[in-house]
Amino acid sequence: MKPLLLLLLSTWSMPAASYFVTIAGLGGTPEYDAEFAKWAADLDHDLKANGPDARVLTLTAASATRQQIERTFAGIAADAKPNDSLAVFLIGHGSFDGTDYKFNIPGPDITAAELASLMNKIPAQRQLVVNMTSCSGASVASLTRKNRIVIVSTKSGTEKNATVFARYWIDALRDPAADTDKNGTVSALEAFDYAQRKTAAYFESEKLLATEHSMLNDTGEGSAVRDPKPANGEGLLAAAFPIIRPETSIAKATDPAKQKLLAKKEDLEAKIDRLKYEKAALSPEEYKQQLTSLLLELARTQAEIDH
Amino acid sequence: MRTALFTLLLGLMPPYLFAQAESCRALEHHGKQVEAQACYTKLSQSTDPFTSAEGFLGRGLYDEANEQFRTAVRLQPKSAPIRTEWGRLFLEHYQPGDAAKLFEEALEIDPNYGPAYLELAHIAADRFDKSAIDLANQALQHDPKLFQAHELLAFVALEDDDPKLAADEANKALSLSNDALDGMSVLASMDWLSGKPDSECMNRILKIDPHYGEAYATGAHFFEINRRYEEAIRFYRKALELNPDLWPARNELGINLMRLADLTGAREELVRCYNAHRSSPQTRNALLFLDTVKDYETFRTEHAAIVLNRKEAGLLRPYIEPEVERAILTYERKYKMKLPGPVRLEVYPNHDDFVVRTLGLPGQGGLLGVTFGLVVAMDSPSARPEGECNWASTLWHEMSHVYVLTATHNLVPRWFTEGLAVHEEGAVSPDWGDRLTPDIVSALQKKQLLPVVELDRGFVRPQYATQVLVSYFEAGKICDYIVERWGNDAIIGMIHSYADRKTTADAIEANLRETPAAFDKDFAAWLDRKTGNTVRHFDDWKKGMKSAYADLQKGDKEGALRDGLSVRDYYPLYVGTASDYELIVEAYLGKNDRLSAIRELERYRAAGGTNTDTLKKLATLESENGMTKEAVITLTKLNYLYPEDPEIHQLLGPILLAQHDTNGSIREDRALVALNPPDPASSHYQLAMALRAAHRLNEAKDEVLLALEAAPGFKPAQQLLLELSQ
Repeated sequence: MKPLLLLLLSTWSMPAASYFVTIAGLGGTPEYDAEFAKWAADLDHDLKANGPDARVLTLTAASATRQQIERTFAGIAADAKPNDSLAVFLIGHGSFDGTDYKFNIPGPDITAAELASLMNKIPAQRQLVVNMTSCSGASVASLTRKNRIVIVSTKSGTEKNATVFARYWIDALRDPAADTDKNGTVSALEAFDYAQRKTAAYFESEKLLATEHSMLNDTGEGSAVRDPKPANGEGLLAAAFPIIRPETSIAKATDPAKQKLLAKKEDLEAKIDRLKYEKAALSPEEYKQQLTSLLLELARTQAEIDH
Repeated sequence: MRTALFTLLLGLMPPYLFAQAESCRALEHHGKQVEAQACYTKLSQSTDPFTSAEGFLGRGLYDEANEQFRTAVRLQPKSAPIRTEWGRLFLEHYQPGDAAKLFEEALEIDPNYGPAYLELAHIAADRFDKSAIDLANQALQHDPKLFQAHELLAFVALEDDDPKLAADEANKALSLSNDALDGMSVLASMDWLSGKPDSECMNRILKIDPHYGEAYATGAHFFEINRRYEEAIRFYRKALELNPDLWPARNELGINLMRLADLTGAREELVRCYNAHRSSPQTRNALLFLDTVKDYETFRTEHAAIVLNRKEAGLLRPYIEPEVERAILTYERKYKMKLPGPVRLEVYPNHDDFVVRTLGLPGQGGLLGVTFGLVVAMDSPSARPEGECNWASTLWHEMSHVYVLTATHNLVPRWFTEGLAVHEEGAVSPDWGDRLTPDIVSALQKKQLLPVVELDRGFVRPQYATQVLVSYFEAGKICDYIVERWGNDAIIGMIHSYADRKTTADAIEANLRETPAAFDKDFAAWLDRKTGNTVRHFDDWKKGMKSAYADLQKGDKEGALRDGLSVRDYYPLYVGTASDYELIVEAYLGKNDRLSAIRELERYRAAGGTNTDTLKKLATLESENGMTKEAVITLTKLNYLYPEDPEIHQLLGPILLAQHDTNGSIREDRALVALNPPDPASSHYQLAMALRAAHRLNEAKDEVLLALEAAPGFKPAQQLLLELSQ
C-alpha cells in the first residue's frame, strides 16, 4: 500500500488531464428535479474552477440518458491517458431489487455493473466514483476495482430514502473547513469526511433517525467502510485524489520556475506521509526528530514557492 | 434491596402464619437455627403444597417454594393467605412488583385481610412512599393485633425523624407481643443514633434471639439514611457477625463500602452475595459498575483526589482541579475548619453509573451529585442534556456538604445541609443554585412550605410530586435568610449545635434567639418580600406570556414585545423553556435592535438562564459588537454548563489571548484540542499561538508540530514553526 501511495502522491499534481463527469438522474417530482439539477450545476461550476486541464462534463435531466452516458464515457475512453484521472458523480435516486443496483435516469435505468463496465474502458489509472443516490450502498461490489475510489451515500441497498449527502459533498468543495490538511486542495477523503460529518449533524439537528450512512472503499478489496483510516487500510488513495485545487497552485504548477520546488515539496509531503504511517515502529524521540526535520524543510520550501 | 431486608426485619414472625410454619418461625425467632431448619425441612416434605411451600421458603429454596405455591393457589384459588405468603417469597427475592400483584390479588379475594395490607405497606415503605403509613393503619384496622404494623409505623416514624412517634408505635407493638424484636430494634436504633452504644433494648433482643443480626442491620439503616456511613458499615458488620447468612445486610454492606470508595471491600461482599444467589438487582448493577473502574484515572491536587473518566479527563481536568481547590480554600475560611483528609471527587459521564454509585438514597431522582463523608460523586456535564447541569454549582454544593457533614460528625438534619449547600451555590455566583420555578411559585401560592422543624419530611417522604424540589428551595432560602439577618456566624453556631446533637428547635433557639414558630413567621414575611410580587402576579404573568407568544406566532413582533415587557417584571426569575427574555430578544432581533437584544439576554444570564443556544447567541452578539469583556462572562458561564461544546473554546480562546490572559487562552485551546475537533490542525495552531504568547516556546513548538503533522501544508503553522526554530 505504501509504495502505491508514494507513486500516486508523486503523480497527481503533474500536468495531466482530470475528467469530471456529473450525472443528475430523474427526480420523480418537480422539487427533486430542481434540486438535483441545481446540485449538478453547482458541482459543474466548482469543478470548472480547477483550470484548463479539468474536463468537466455534466449530464442532467433529459440529457442524462443511457445513450448519452455511454457516448460521454466512450469519448473519454478515446481521449484519456493512463496518467489522467477520472471522477464520476451520480446525483439522484437509485433503486435496489435485491440483486441489481440501478441509477434512475430517463429511459432505461443503468445498473452499477453497466456503469463499472463503462468506467473500466477508460485508461485513466486513477478513478473515483461518488454515488450519492439512495440505495447506492448496493453498487459498491460492482464498482470496486483496484485503483478506484468508491464512495456511496448509503451503507446498503436497503437505505432507500432520498439522500442529502450530495448537498454536503458540494459544500465540501466550497467550505475552507473541509481542507483539514490545509494544503489548499480538497481531496476525495476530505470531502467524504466533511460530507459524512455534516450529514450526521443534519439528522441530529432535525432530530431524525439517520436514513443514510456513507461508506468508502479505495483498496479495491473487501467491503466499504464508514471510517477510512490507516488501521483499516482505507482512505490512502482517496487522500491523494484532489477534487478541488486553488487557482494559485494550478498556476504555479504550470510555471517552469516553480516546478522544481513543487516537485521537492511533493517529495517532502510524501516522506512526511510515509513517516506518519511508520510512527508506531519508531521511538517517540526518533519520530519527533524526523518529523521536525521534514516539516522544517517543507516550510522553507513552501516559503520559497510563495516568494 | 431494602425490600428483602425489611421483610426480614419486620415480617419474620407474623401471627397470621399458619400453625406449622409458625412453629418453625418461632424456633428461628428464638435463635434456634438448627432446630428451625429441621422444622422447615419437615414442612417441605409435606404432601400439602402450601405447607411444603412454607418449608421451602424457610430453607431459602425459592424455586421449589415457588412451584409449591403455584400448585397451592391452583388448588385453593380463593385463599388470600396463600397468595400473601407467595407474595412474601417474591419480596424476599427482590421482586416487589410481582409481590405487590399477589398482595393486591389477596385483597381482591378478601378486602379485610390485614396481612396483605401490611406487606403492601412494606413495599411502599421501601420506596419511601407516604402511602406506607395509610396501608399499615389499614392493616391494623382489619387486624388490631398485627403488631408488625406498629413495628413498621415505628420504623417509618423514625425515618421521618419523629422519635416520639417511633417510640410510641414500638411500645404498642411490644404491648401486643413480647417478641416484637423489630419494635425493639427501632428503640435500640434510637439509642444508637443518639450516641448510646449500649442499648438495653439490644440486650433484650439478644436474650430472645442471640443471632438476631437484623437489629444491628436496622440500626445500620438509620445511620445510612442519616448519612453516617462509617457507623452504618460498622453496624452491618455487627449484624453479619451475629448471622453471616443475613444477605440483605451483606448487600448493604457492599453498597456502603462502595460509597466510601473502598472498592475492593465492596466487591468482596457483593461477589459473596452474587455467588450465594442472594444478590439484588442493585447489587448486580454495582458489580457491573465496579468493572468500569479501570476506565477512570485519579489526579491529585493539594487537597483532593479527582477521579475522571479517561475519555474526558483531558477536557475537564483543567477546569475541575482549580475549582475544587478554590472551593476548599473558601470553605476553610468560611467554616473555620480543615478537613481531616483529602476529598475524593468522582465525576461520571454516564448518569446510570452515577445512579448505581449513589443508589438507595431517598429522593435521589433528580440528583446531580451526592456526598458520602469525604467522597463526592457527581454527574459530568456530559451525563446530562446540554445546559441542564452547572457542574461547578453542583461541585460547590457537594463540597459544602463535605464540610457540614464533617463538622457535625454527620449529625446534621437533611434540610439544613441541603439548604446551606443551596445557599453556598448562590454565594459563589447569584445566577447559580435553584431557580424559582413555576412549581415552587405554585407551592408558595398554596402555602405548602413546611415549618422549619418539619422540613426534613419534605426531603424524606414527600407528600406531593414536587415537594423535594420545593423543600430544597425552602431550605436554601432559610439559610439565605439566616445569613442576611444574623450573619454567617449564626450558621456556624447552628453547625456546632447539630454537632452537639441538638435538635433543629434547640439550634434555632440557641443561635437565633427565636422560637421555631417565631422563626417560621419572620421567615415567611421575609420570603414574601422576595417572592410576593411573583406569587401574586403569577396568573397575570401566565396570561401575558400566552398572549405574547400568540402575537409572535401571528408575526406581530411589536405586540409580542409589548406583551412580553408588560409581564416580565412579574416573574423575572423565570428562565425556563420559552422564557419571557427569549421572546423579547426574538422580537428585538426581528427589529434588528441588537443592543436591546444584548441587554435583555444579559438580564437572562444574570437571572440564571442556562439555555446554551441562547447564551451562545449572547456571546456571539457581544463579540460581534466589540463587547469582549461581557462575552468572556457569557462564555465562562457556558463553560460551567457544557464544556463539551467546541464552539465555546473556539470563541473564548482568542478573546482571552487578545486580552493578554495567556493562561486562560491556553486552557481554552487545550480544551478544544481535547475535544478532538474535526480540524485538529487549527486547534493545535491556536494553542501554539497562545503558548508562544506565554513564552512557553518549547510547548508552542510541540503544538505547532502537531498542527503540521495533521496538515503539513498549513502555511500559518509553517511560518510559526520557522519562527520558533530560529
